[in-house]
Amino acid sequence: MRRDHGCRRADHEFSRRGFLATGAAAGVAGLASPAVSKQLRKGQKRVLQIYLQGGVSQLESWDPKPGTRYGGPFRAIPTSVPGMHICELLPHTAQRMHLLSIVRGINLKTNSHHDGRLFMEMGRRSGSFPYVGSIAAKHLTPANAPLPGYLHITTRGLTDNTNAFLDARHAQLKLAGPKVPDNLIRPDALTVQAARRSGELLKRLNRRFSGRGGQKAFTDSYNASFEMAEKLMARRDLFEGKPDPKDLQRYGSHPFGRNCLLARTLLENGATVVKVTHHGYDTHAENFNFHLEQLGEFDNTFCMLLDDLHQSGLLENTLVMVMSEFGRTPKINVRYGRDHWGTAWSIAVGGHGLVPGAIVGATNKEGTEVSEREVDGGHLFHTYLQALGLDSTANHDLGGRTVPIGDPTRSPIKELLA
Amino acid sequence: MSRVPPPPALPRDLPPPIDPTKTHVVREFTIDDYPLTTCRIDPTGTYVVAGAEDFQIYRWPIAGPASARTVLRGHNSWVRSFDFSPDGQWLYSGGYDDRIGVWPLFDPNPAPARMVVAHDGWVRWIRTSPDGRLLASCGNDNLLKVWDTQTWELVREFKGHQRYPYAVVFHPDGKRLASFDLMGVLKEWDLASGKTTRQWEAKFMWGFDQKFRADMGGARDLRFSPDGKHLAVAGLTEVTNAFAGTHKPLVLLVDWETGKFQKKFRIDGRGAAWGIRFHPAGFLVGSGAPSGALWFWKDDKEKPFHTTGLSGGGRAIDLTPDGRQAAVAQIDRKLVIVQFTAKVG
Amino acid sequence: MPVFLRTRDTQMLATACMLPFLIVTQAIAAAPESTFPSRIDALIEARLKDFSTHASPICTDAAFLRRVTLDLTASIPTAAKTRAFLKDTAPSQEKRSRVVTELLASPQHATRMQYLLDWLLMERRSSENVASAQWQKYLRASAVANKPWDELTREILADDGGDAKTRARARFYLDREFDLTVVTRDVSRIFLGVDLECAQCHDHPAVTAYKQQHYHGIKAFLDRSFLFTDSKSKRKSLGEKAEGDVTFTSAFDETKGKTAPRILELPELVDPKDTLKQYITKPAKNVRSVPRYSRRRQLGEAMTVAENQDFRLNIANRLWAVMMGRGLVEPLDLRHAANPPSHPELLSLLGDALHQHKYDMRWFLGQLAHTRAYQRSSVTRPDSATVANRHYAVGLLKPLGPEQYAWATMEATGFLEKVRIDARASLAAAAKKAAAKKGSKKKAPKAKTAATPPNPPTLADIEAAVRKTVAPHVKTFVTQFAAQGGQKTTFSATAPQALFLTNGALLREWLKPAGANLLARVSKLDDSQAVAEELYIRILNRLPTESEQKEVAIYMELPGKRVDVLGELAWALLLSAEFRFNH
Repeated sequence: MRRDHGCRRADHEFSRRGFLATGAAAGVAGLASPAVSKQLRKGQKRVLQIYLQGGVSQLESWDPKPGTRYGGPFRAIPTSVPGMHICELLPHTAQRMHLLSIVRGINLKTNSHHDGRLFMEMGRRSGSFPYVGSIAAKHLTPANAPLPGYLHITTRGLTDNTNAFLDARHAQLKLAGPKVPDNLIRPDALTVQAARRSGELLKRLNRRFSGRGGQKAFTDSYNASFEMAEKLMARRDLFEGKPDPKDLQRYGSHPFGRNCLLARTLLENGATVVKVTHHGYDTHAENFNFHLEQLGEFDNTFCMLLDDLHQSGLLENTLVMVMSEFGRTPKINVRYGRDHWGTAWSIAVGGHGLVPGAIVGATNKEGTEVSEREVDGGHLFHTYLQALGLDSTANHDLGGRTVPIGDPTRSPIKELLA
Repeated sequence: MSRVPPPPALPRDLPPPIDPTKTHVVREFTIDDYPLTTCRIDPTGTYVVAGAEDFQIYRWPIAGPASARTVLRGHNSWVRSFDFSPDGQWLYSGGYDDRIGVWPLFDPNPAPARMVVAHDGWVRWIRTSPDGRLLASCGNDNLLKVWDTQTWELVREFKGHQRYPYAVVFHPDGKRLASFDLMGVLKEWDLASGKTTRQWEAKFMWGFDQKFRADMGGARDLRFSPDGKHLAVAGLTEVTNAFAGTHKPLVLLVDWETGKFQKKFRIDGRGAAWGIRFHPAGFLVGSGAPSGALWFWKDDKEKPFHTTGLSGGGRAIDLTPDGRQAAVAQIDRKLVIVQFTAKVG
Repeated sequence: MPVFLRTRDTQMLATACMLPFLIVTQAIAAAPESTFPSRIDALIEARLKDFSTHASPICTDAAFLRRVTLDLTASIPTAAKTRAFLKDTAPSQEKRSRVVTELLASPQHATRMQYLLDWLLMERRSSENVASAQWQKYLRASAVANKPWDELTREILADDGGDAKTRARARFYLDREFDLTVVTRDVSRIFLGVDLECAQCHDHPAVTAYKQQHYHGIKAFLDRSFLFTDSKSKRKSLGEKAEGDVTFTSAFDETKGKTAPRILELPELVDPKDTLKQYITKPAKNVRSVPRYSRRRQLGEAMTVAENQDFRLNIANRLWAVMMGRGLVEPLDLRHAANPPSHPELLSLLGDALHQHKYDMRWFLGQLAHTRAYQRSSVTRPDSATVANRHYAVGLLKPLGPEQYAWATMEATGFLEKVRIDARASLAAAAKKAAAKKGSKKKAPKAKTAATPPNPPTLADIEAAVRKTVAPHVKTFVTQFAAQGGQKTTFSATAPQALFLTNGALLREWLKPAGANLLARVSKLDDSQAVAEELYIRILNRLPTESEQKEVAIYMELPGKRVDVLGELAWALLLSAEFRFNH
């Protein structure tokens, strides 16, 4: 009897006509109209996360120590913020430091890629907790968002359980660069009409099944996976269009350039969290030659993206972080490499909710330890969420069980919050 | 026909003959705290100079003592390459601060006569022409440049390398240049026209790390034999993990007339060859890092006929004019003078 | 000798304890309330004061058949089986009991156990040092023989991978690269249900010291072993030293601790006298050392002694979760003082029963299938969802595991039927050929003898052939749907999965009419009622309701080629949540 409950209610709207008419009105494509995008653009908070995978050297980026024992061969250059110097490998970024701030006193107390990455993403040293991107996606993605909330553009497959105990719709969706994701395209044999009406039937069936009670989280997650898939299918154009040659020239035609262009497109089209991974910083050998290459690529491309977000006004609503899983040892090894170093390193942040042009924390003269305002992944995690206007001291509600969103033993970096 | 040879010196002063298998350390000059980056011996055989990670240049009389050390200050970054005027009066230094330093070598306390901004980015290598009138340099702007050593005006630019040229050298005929880049591209240039006349790809001295999407390769030393018939390129091969430095040392010997890759001198071990010299006695001597060793090859075999262990990885090697000794700049802060003979006394 | 009882003694002890239990079991028919399933239900129902007001009724026969077939054989029932079961007029409990027995005796049950054990032990790790085929063969043989869990545990934890014949057993260690931290943690998690690296515990200094000792006690069994790579074959196996003790610094008060091998709170295992530095094979360069006394070999023994309650509680909890959709302890590997079981007495009962039945997993699963808790409808009473879910007062949804999902999809679309027909035919042909060959050989001496009639292929033969054919498809589903990590009862669906189901070529291919598959069958049916019935029986293993029939009828009137419209209907049913979950 319960089983028919849903059907009875639906009988009024359930008809042949219903199958034929639905889709056009309910389709997600409508959301992508410029007017809607613009509206979204105004209000919606977003996150742009650039992950320099492998551990960028703080000495070759945000915390140069030229002429000191472990300083390496590169010089420090002045930036658009008086008194602030960064490494000469970031000349373009240097001109935009008034938009960003530097956190120089990070100590993660781990030198493991895995643990460092999780600490920086989860704000917890261990355990299984949602990534900052997953939490941001959960709380900031509007119900009618035209794209899945959390998109990660990466050319290499690192396995992340980004949503932990949160619903799967808040998990990162991996994109292998500006190419059409697997199975995105409707099979030729299936007409638009057939796809639409069978999709409607599926929704009816699933609504009915959800109506029987049971574990709502399971059925919700299942239904959400189709909604996300549909959103992606509706925005196939985002993945297949050829980039504007002018843009490509500005961003660079290498994968990172193309990925950042895609990131811009996604942010402009209603994505909430976009993470772009730039690979290749784990420089145990030839640290200086490799940083020349990698940061050369990063510097220009990142700045083009930053400029575009700034110009379009998106930056106002977008939290930007440029992070790694750790930095690199001050000591230069016998292969001209620097090794893993979670003890005293830096990241750059900016955009929504943060004070720009600041330097928080410091390392000692030779960069071997934090000398001022030591923070770790836990503090950063609170800072990111609070910058986005989310209460990081509240709890995740897991149906009866509660879990603190941020580590209760950590607090945000108040001086960074605008 | 031939003249009667001069009478030998007093028997007790007779120097032992060159014998690489008897190579041993005769002197060590150690600096505080910083690894050395490179070294050279001036053409008169008076001084040895070394660069270090503290941006300074150190000068010692090759015969010692260590306390006779002079520090040359002027660069704001590492110096990775030196050369001299043929008379040894001028020391030239190429720095990662984009500049070439010009130093009066024999001054008691040399100060730079000039600091020439030479490239946009690191000056990776410099080399004087045989007549000393020109100096070639290459740098991170992917350019080769030739300078007038009197006026320090730019004589010519050579465009063509797509990636960082690691080293450049004049052919002993003074009319040609050779250069070698990150990707293993070896070029011959005509000095007068500035054009590439020949090009090779030594792809085996380069590797692309699929995992990290990065290139590893380049020359760590580049040297013509005195007769100009051969070019030796010190570097690496078999890159399996660029970021961990997993590759093997290799010295490529090129027959310059035929253009053939005549020999690939290999070392079974991890690292790169950082220095190579043609010894007048007919063998090649190389040094490498990270584990310190001197390797001795003859051109008949790919494997060294002798290896001498050193206390630290060698970043460069240079010979004294008489070929009896060599200087090695080591990672463990030591400038080591070795002698290719049996120990005396 | 270690201070514990050796296995044989333990087993004897267990047999002795079981005698009264066997008598009780035989008395089932006379006093139903004293059966094992009814004792389970009593504990479940007593745990919540107003249980009956929240409890859903016993599920329909159709729901039970689908549920138990998936749980015990990793697939849905065939259409024929569904129809026969629904038609069967025997009392419901009688036919349910019969089907449980049948399913447990089928070769497909071994397949299900093979998948489960693989998931449980290897947690979706890739094959690195032990070939996947070798491992699966070992698991299959173990599942077919219904190898007791304690025996399996001892085999797995003892093997060093040195003997090619038993090497597969060592995969647990070898494909974890014998990383000491990882194997110590996983041994505790997988065989004891406790995560000794559990993050929550680090926040409590008092607990840290306590846990640290546990961690190092397990580690002490493994600490002397190391991954050995044979210089010639490059094959990896475990070597072991005959010396070395585990010491640690307490995170609590910085005192130094030292421990011999021990399982949690059980006494330490003292090394036998005169075994220190004593070797069967002495350590040397390129030599895999083998000590006279192996600490690692004691691990399985120590783990499975009767005194170790944690061993039985863990496997009881895990098998319970397989059947019921949620562990009595959740997460399954996180049992500790601050996270006790939801039904402590029940977990003890389950653990003891398993122990008394010599860790007979087949028996155990069958017993659980007989409980009311297992047989409740998954439709919740209004406003009871939260309470009912926690108290097993409603049938919980269980997402189909990737292997179940693959088999169920192949069964529903009729693809599997074709594979079975082909397998039967080719086995029959092969048998005929073999018989003919045999016959022709005999022909020379005895010209008049006719060829021996071929034996019909057995169910197990057919099943094996089918499994081989569909293996790539099962693998595809594992790639698409397996979550990283070990046994869990949680569920997350992703957009790439939805895209695979929506646009992927595989499902669309299976939904094209061919032979006697689903689409070919329904295309031949005239009226919408027959179509609806066929679709629902084959995909959802039940008859459609009236309004569902109407829904199908209306859909069939939509414009388009009939076969296409039917394909759309089948696709929607196949992707429905009702199909995606075991409910």
